[in-house]
Amino acid sequence: MTAQLTDQVLDELVAVLGKDYVLTSKTARMNRARVPAPFPVHRWRDRVPDLVVMPGTTAEVAEVVRIANTHRIPIVPRDGGTGLTDGAVPERRGIVVDVKRMNEITEIDLENRTCTVGPGINMLKLNEVLAKHGLIYPDNPASYPCSLVGGRIGTSGWSLVGSRYGHTRDLVLSFEMVLPTGRVIRVGDGGGLKVSKSSSGYQLKHLFMGHQGTLGIATEATLKLYPKPETEFSPFWAFADFESAYACLGQLARAGVATFAGAVLFDEWKVDYLRRDDEAYIPQPADVRALVCAVCYGNDDEVRAGGKRLMRIARDMGARYLGDEISQGDWAARHDRYATPLHGRTKEGQVAPMSWHCEDAAISYTDLAAVRIAWHDIVARLRDKHPIFDDWGMFFYTSADTGVDYLTEIDVGIWEQELDDAAWAAWVDAKREIAAVALRHGGSISACHGSCREGEVDLVPEELGGGYDVMLAVKKSLDPNNIMNPGKYGLQRAYEGES
Amino acid sequence: MTDTHPTTDGDGHAPVTVEFLGNWRNAAYNCFSSGHKFCREVCPVMQVTRNESWTPTAFHANVVAMEQGELTVEDVAEDYVNCTQCGACELRCPNTLFTGDFYRFRTRTVDLVKQMRALAVDNGIHQPGYQRWNSLTDERTHEPVLGSYDNPVPVSQQHVRDWADGLDLPTGGETILFVDCEAAFYRTSVPRAVAQLLRKAGYEFGLMREQWCCGGPAAEMGYRDQSRRFAEHNLADWRASGVKRVLVLDPHDYITFTEDYPGYFGADFDIEIVLVVELLAQLIADGKLTPTVPVERTITYHDPCRLNKRKGIWQEPRQVLRAIPGLTFHDVDRVTQWSYCSGGGGGLPVEKPELTKKISAARIEKAAELEVDTLVSACPWSERPLAEAGAAQSIDVVDIHELLAESCGIEVGGSTGS
Repeated sequence: MTAQLTDQVLDELVAVLGKDYVLTSKTARMNRARVPAPFPVHRWRDRVPDLVVMPGTTAEVAEVVRIANTHRIPIVPRDGGTGLTDGAVPERRGIVVDVKRMNEITEIDLENRTCTVGPGINMLKLNEVLAKHGLIYPDNPASYPCSLVGGRIGTSGWSLVGSRYGHTRDLVLSFEMVLPTGRVIRVGDGGGLKVSKSSSGYQLKHLFMGHQGTLGIATEATLKLYPKPETEFSPFWAFADFESAYACLGQLARAGVATFAGAVLFDEWKVDYLRRDDEAYIPQPADVRALVCAVCYGNDDEVRAGGKRLMRIARDMGARYLGDEISQGDWAARHDRYATPLHGRTKEGQVAPMSWHCEDAAISYTDLAAVRIAWHDIVARLRDKHPIFDDWGMFFYTSADTGVDYLTEIDVGIWEQELDDAAWAAWVDAKREIAAVALRHGGSISACHGSCREGEVDLVPEELGGGYDVMLAVKKSLDPNNIMNPGKYGLQRAYEGES
Repeated sequence: MTDTHPTTDGDGHAPVTVEFLGNWRNAAYNCFSSGHKFCREVCPVMQVTRNESWTPTAFHANVVAMEQGELTVEDVAEDYVNCTQCGACELRCPNTLFTGDFYRFRTRTVDLVKQMRALAVDNGIHQPGYQRWNSLTDERTHEPVLGSYDNPVPVSQQHVRDWADGLDLPTGGETILFVDCEAAFYRTSVPRAVAQLLRKAGYEFGLMREQWCCGGPAAEMGYRDQSRRFAEHNLADWRASGVKRVLVLDPHDYITFTEDYPGYFGADFDIEIVLVVELLAQLIADGKLTPTVPVERTITYHDPCRLNKRKGIWQEPRQVLRAIPGLTFHDVDRVTQWSYCSGGGGGLPVEKPELTKKISAARIEKAAELEVDTLVSACPWSERPLAEAGAAQSIDVVDIHELLAESCGIEVGGSTGS
């Protein structure tokens, strides 16, 4: 327990929230200590918060933050808790501020095509409501059925269909932030709630996207809405080798098809793994060693025209179209597939219950092939030392409509029940090496999952250079007492030398 | 608020707990190490409480924490009250969806919740509402009627057939009709409708000789010895009177007889269990029952969780409804209804009536959006909370058997409880 977390603090919190929403039970605290990223289970207790609060309004969040700031108690914002970089994991105990109750839709503006929601709403649930108006909020992570809008802001989420609609940073027009002192501000492009482009003042929206809970808590967001697509087209193509799939992927992404929402390449490790251990995957003949899937969304006539163009490009590039079954079956399942396997194989081939973990980076197209070789090497060396790891192959997803950069991801199976301190240390080393490769190739440590976990976080100052010093200055200026999610991104450096 | 570590050796648990942890170790890890929470937004309790401690993920993670010596059964027992055992989480679980086909694996949260509640009882930890409910059930051989502890509806062996007054139904025979406690003592219009429909179709059946509660609710709340005793009584009664077939009108009983009883009695359990709504759909299809009286209502159908989510039964009720003339039917598909629930199951209304109320209000809200005047259900336990919530929105809650009887020109009688 943090020394400052006294009965007086508890009384103050209960006075603000009522006792039903100040949770002190061990189960309440332990179940808010984790995210899906693997972690040695025997160290679970190191990350358990002192208590959990469940505010229902912005004013309550602000009051909780003020109390914590006055008493210098760490705060960890928690939305869905589905992130992969430990943003929602309490590293210094303190108070978890769980905003799931704040899930109301306060406005749907049909004329301007926006809606305003609480941070605790899930995108799938939101889209169930928007569908009645023929609209969609197309923020579409693999965690679409469970992640929440506020967490998408805190992590600057990446969307599978971002090449068509943009990512969270593009789709959230403005939002309300409770700063570490308890002050409430609205950030967007300029000052308006429903403005997508402004050139007035500093552009603060980006600053408060992806801060991993270190700069405050988002409490309301105004979102950009699109017409619900009439049609989806999701062809799968097979290739005999990675190189031809890679060449085709580049052509598809550079084609300038307006309804193109994304493309993904599976390398031969991935295809092998799917063939071996993923029962949901529709099997392909042995001569298939790489796959590319593309997806288009939009009005029926436009999707048809764009789809024809993509099909022509793929054919010219030597791709083999795999038919409608896999298109319907596999693309539809794609969102759910990040949790797929219950098992992998040890080096000796023993089937073992394994959890899935992926390391990702943002890499420009021209560097994908080299990064791929280097990453598989790192995981092979890890597997040599610790057979509880398994290489589940790589994906390359388009991030943008021009094909400039890709979410590059290597999936690693981890037999978590066997994860001890030595294996964990080797894993952290491997993560650091994976991040170093990304930087050597001019990329960014993460396109999607974040970079504040053990291992890669050490390289963030190198990645950002002088920008990291600005991060430190901003952190200290907005959070003078370092109460917001302390320990993340190495930001404690901003306070070094203080008593 | 201090962090105590109850069991440094990991084996400070009682032997029954150690056995439980051994049984659930891998299943709990499968959820824990996946850590993805697709179950969450379909869970009826989570939808209304938004409390992450009361989710299928937490229910599995607690087992891992117990195994690690971080939590004890005393720490966790109360959380497991917050579940209607609807089964939505199991269907939505990626582990069920994507490995189930090949490995025949299925996440079994409902079973976990039942067993954790039983483990609590075995460790002498009781939830006051459950304890009282089960002790009254034990005393009277039937469940008490919800909300009538002080001014009790007469619940006893003498009154278990009161619902059939004036129908002149025989007792015994190869086929008997089993009427669950809620329908026998509270919504008596349901068994009256069923009995008269079957008679009209010329389907022979009798009443049970000495019917006790099926024992399912005791099992759901963790009182498994009591559940087993009740099951043994009922089976002995069936055997003694030559019963070969049991007709069941309540989805909860249907679960008990098709899952709990075979668990208790193994291969010896050779009684055929027939769900009445499936039988009625068949009788209609065979031309033995023809609804002709138009029922001028605009309806939607509530898929009872135990039929749709736990047993995959969703077609037959719709066949029955489509056979009734006059209805305007705004249907909602069964998969969307994975996230719907009345809140009436799994003992939730016994311990947390306020949550049942919120869940049923949310379900009625979905019906109201369809601009219907009637919500039809096929589960007596759902009908009370739904009817209470429906009153506020001027939506009638009607049982499917009642509706069919009306369309077959039957004057049902009995009480709908309102």
